[in-house]
Amino acid sequence: MMSYKTIAYTLLPLLCCAVLLQSCKKWEDSITVNDPALKQTLMERIAAEPSTSKFAELVKKSGLDTVLTSSKVYTVFAPDNDAVAKLDAGVANDPAKLKQFVSNYITLQAWNSKAEDTASTYLQMLNGKYHLLHAAVMGNAAITSANKPAKNGVYHVISSLLPVADNCWETIAGNSSIPAEQKAYMLSLFRNVFDPTNAVQIGVDPNTGKPIYKPGTDSINTNLFWQRVYDLRDESKRFAVFILEDAAWQAATQSYYPYFVTGGMDTTASLAKWEVLKDLAAEGVYTADNIPDTVLSKFKVKIPVEGAQIKKTIAASNGTIFIMGKVDISPKNKFKQWYIEAENYSFASNNKTGNTYFRDRLTPAGVPFKDVLVYNHGISGFNLGYRITNVPSMKYKAYWVAVNDWMTTNFTQKLGIDSATSTVLPYITVTPNNYSEVYLGEFTVDRYKAAMSIFLTAAANTTATTNPVVCDYIRIEPSFN
Amino acid sequence: MKKLTILFLSAAAFCTVLSSCKKMLDVMPGDELDQSQMYRNVYDADAAVIGIYGKFQGLAERYVLLNELRADMLNYTDHADEYLRQLSNHTVTADNPYASPRPFYEVILNCNDVLKNFDVMLKDKKMKESEYAVRYADITCLRSFLYLQLGIHYGEIPYVTGALESVEEVKDAKRFPKLSFDALLDTLIRTTEALTYKDEYPAGASPNITVDGYPTGKWFINKKVLLGDLNLWKGNYVQAATWYRQVMETAANNSNDATMLTMYKVGWDSNGDVDHYISYSRGGDATSLVWNTQWRIMYEQAANTKGYEREWVWAIPFDSRFKPENPFVKLFSPIGGQYLVKPSQEAFDNWNSQQQLPNSSAPAMPGLPYDARGILTCQNINGQPVVMKYLYNYLNWSTMLPVDVLKRTSTWFLFKQTHLHMRFAEAANRAGKHLLAWGLFNNGIAGAYPAPTSDVTNYHNTLFEPYPFNFDARNSGNSGIPYYRAPWYRNIGIRRRANLQNYAVAAGADSTLSIENGLINETALEDAYEGTRWPDLLRIALRRNDPSFLADKIYRKLKKDNVPGAEAARAKLMDKSGWYLPFKF
Repeated sequence: MMSYKTIAYTLLPLLCCAVLLQSCKKWEDSITVNDPALKQTLMERIAAEPSTSKFAELVKKSGLDTVLTSSKVYTVFAPDNDAVAKLDAGVANDPAKLKQFVSNYITLQAWNSKAEDTASTYLQMLNGKYHLLHAAVMGNAAITSANKPAKNGVYHVISSLLPVADNCWETIAGNSSIPAEQKAYMLSLFRNVFDPTNAVQIGVDPNTGKPIYKPGTDSINTNLFWQRVYDLRDESKRFAVFILEDAAWQAATQSYYPYFVTGGMDTTASLAKWEVLKDLAAEGVYTADNIPDTVLSKFKVKIPVEGAQIKKTIAASNGTIFIMGKVDISPKNKFKQWYIEAENYSFASNNKTGNTYFRDRLTPAGVPFKDVLVYNHGISGFNLGYRITNVPSMKYKAYWVAVNDWMTTNFTQKLGIDSATSTVLPYITVTPNNYSEVYLGEFTVDRYKAAMSIFLTAAANTTATTNPVVCDYIRIEPSFN
Repeated sequence: MKKLTILFLSAAAFCTVLSSCKKMLDVMPGDELDQSQMYRNVYDADAAVIGIYGKFQGLAERYVLLNELRADMLNYTDHADEYLRQLSNHTVTADNPYASPRPFYEVILNCNDVLKNFDVMLKDKKMKESEYAVRYADITCLRSFLYLQLGIHYGEIPYVTGALESVEEVKDAKRFPKLSFDALLDTLIRTTEALTYKDEYPAGASPNITVDGYPTGKWFINKKVLLGDLNLWKGNYVQAATWYRQVMETAANNSNDATMLTMYKVGWDSNGDVDHYISYSRGGDATSLVWNTQWRIMYEQAANTKGYEREWVWAIPFDSRFKPENPFVKLFSPIGGQYLVKPSQEAFDNWNSQQQLPNSSAPAMPGLPYDARGILTCQNINGQPVVMKYLYNYLNWSTMLPVDVLKRTSTWFLFKQTHLHMRFAEAANRAGKHLLAWGLFNNGIAGAYPAPTSDVTNYHNTLFEPYPFNFDARNSGNSGIPYYRAPWYRNIGIRRRANLQNYAVAAGADSTLSIENGLINETALEDAYEGTRWPDLLRIALRRNDPSFLADKIYRKLKKDNVPGAEAARAKLMDKSGWYLPFKF
């Protein structure tokens, strides 16, 4: 017979357990998802929302409903029925256009909007276009009902359609108000460029060991402007592109003809056109209202932008096209000087490394510099060679710093233009301990040269003390006088 | 009844277990020695000595950090923790583990224990008198060296010579009152000078043998260098110079002529692996600096080479094949290490304000405008300045890539012949021998006392000076009559060895102070990051009673490296109490 005590001791824990079990239910309740919205996918939510029912129909029609029911997280900016009613009927009936339209409202990840938010974010939509989410505004559309949750993301209701603008390149190629000449030149810059990314290899060259590709697969057709200046198709960036009206384009390019004298007018014109074109774009968010009077091109050339000359602006998805009556970029801004470190020579007339001294020196003011000295080389007219590229046909002034700090006597050396023995510039006396820049003279390049050699030439004798070559740097400066 | 039986039986069993316990528990461990198995003969004594040095190696990282990071040539990187930053900025808090004196005392108490047992062995005739004296002196000197370090960094410290059971007992201020630095120096000099044996271990006998390619002789402290140092700190300049001179003459009777003429004498040998010059294969061509031999090689060459033997007085190897592990890769290397410390801008500025010798042959151009030892001491790896001295056995000098990431061999560079000459010169300078001191760190004794051009009969060098300042560096030249080459004729001088122009004593300047400034700075350029910069600065600041000597340099380091608190550090160091670390166990 158990005593009451025993019974109590046995029962008490049991009771406790019972209480715990009971309370368990409550605990479970507190962590269960009660919001029915969170049990439904974005697709179901948008379809259930009365104000966005029409958009939901378009999503289903475009086939993108599979995206919105998937397990990834998305944000949908759903235009309300009034906004969708304004959609061109042609879009709804063209499957490709419809898909493009719908994907302009969907982006990956969950993005909430806060009215008090000061930060702004460019969101890339599924069609590749970017729209700016800032406070309670998406692009140019007001968010009327924000941050509505669903199982796989969040959606917002917006009051107007988001534009699907062409990007800068598409605008230039397709917009009828783009002036013809510059456009034609830009469109003429398509070239086939070697690119093995998608190439099909059909063998290996037995002589070189290099792969042989199936003809037609080893190159891509691309535009030089995309490659060398800016890829105006890039949606993730913002550009300002200046398109000159035909007369202005002609005037601008012709003003550069003298700097590109070649054997034929076609080559000259093509070089001059490229010279003008390459500085007619800048990176940055510019509109007709905020563009300053000078912007910098990719090549750090100042582009003067006169307000009166802005004839028209076209907003593109990734920037602004400015149609200009005139953009006058002076050659002084375009043609930069060459500053050649003498110790970085490209070639030498003879192998004299055993007589070559790469020196660390200090100016009298204590500024460190490096130079090169070739001493006791024993070669009459020994020379070091340097390459400069893209040399316009014009006048130049030449300078050097040559420090003779090991002899108390003078010697001579010269700068050979285009050939080591050129007499265009004379032999110059190098006096002891002269750390300043020495003017060597002026010379003219008659014809444009894609590449040209400059020589540092020793005196025409074989005496060690009179035929050294020494130089810190050579500076060649365009002369516009 | 049954119950009783069970009780009885179990009690009996228990007793049996208890009684057998004693024997059962007395089994000797298989892989460790019991106290009773130690100190039985002289080989056990050697094992104890090696054991002490093994423990001592554990202090290498601390030694370099305390002596360099607190000074002006080393700074912390972004990877360093708060405690390393404190060392550099002189804002050390009591809880800083790098500032704890405990690891020093652990080794000191080990030394005390070994010394006690040596006494017992001598009494029990387990060691001969001569064997005892050699080993007793070594361990006593190492202990004195550790106490000197403690004095340098903590100022006042408890001096313990007895064997204690626990390091905690050091805390007992009643038993071990703190000694002032000055009183500590007196005690250390007394103890160390009293030793009957002050030479190196006799060569060829344990423990001075060759192990795994390492001659072990250089592992052990050089007692005479220590005695020189103690006397130099104390201000006994002639006594200090006497001890240093004895070390400089270590090879005076060496059977190998080249060794006799060069070892510890900063002498030339016409062999790049021994000369340790700053050298250019084409004088004046900065790109032709010699890397694969000459000055840099002393930080890479093997311990059994001639160059190493003649250069290094005290150096302990860290080999990837045995413990303890090399701590320097962790400290200095951005590749495979943590890159915690880097050279300061102040250090670079110092190297870059030196002037090399002009090219002697045509083209006779002026020398390069910097000290090339800076280039060989510090390199840029991936845009980060790195102290390379301790890494040359780990990173290839040409590629700056690890030869083998897992093989982290290095050496704890404690003392080399340039230290020795610089300290001797410091003592000589203070003893009034200015020209001799100047010559040793510039272009050598022969440079300071040039030979007459024709008749060399009465050419006396410094032979007219009393010992230890009488050097015979005479060289009659090829045409001199009579023809002779004196033992010190090859002494080249430290700046000449580094291809630098002589240090100029400004006209009208105080010779003693000017030469001393030059000496201390030369040690910085030559022996950077080898653990002597802070002691050097402190010693001079103490000697001149001039805190600014120390404070200004630290200030410039912090200022140039844009570390906040440079002014506060200077203000702290302008007061002597700010020189020492908090003594907290």
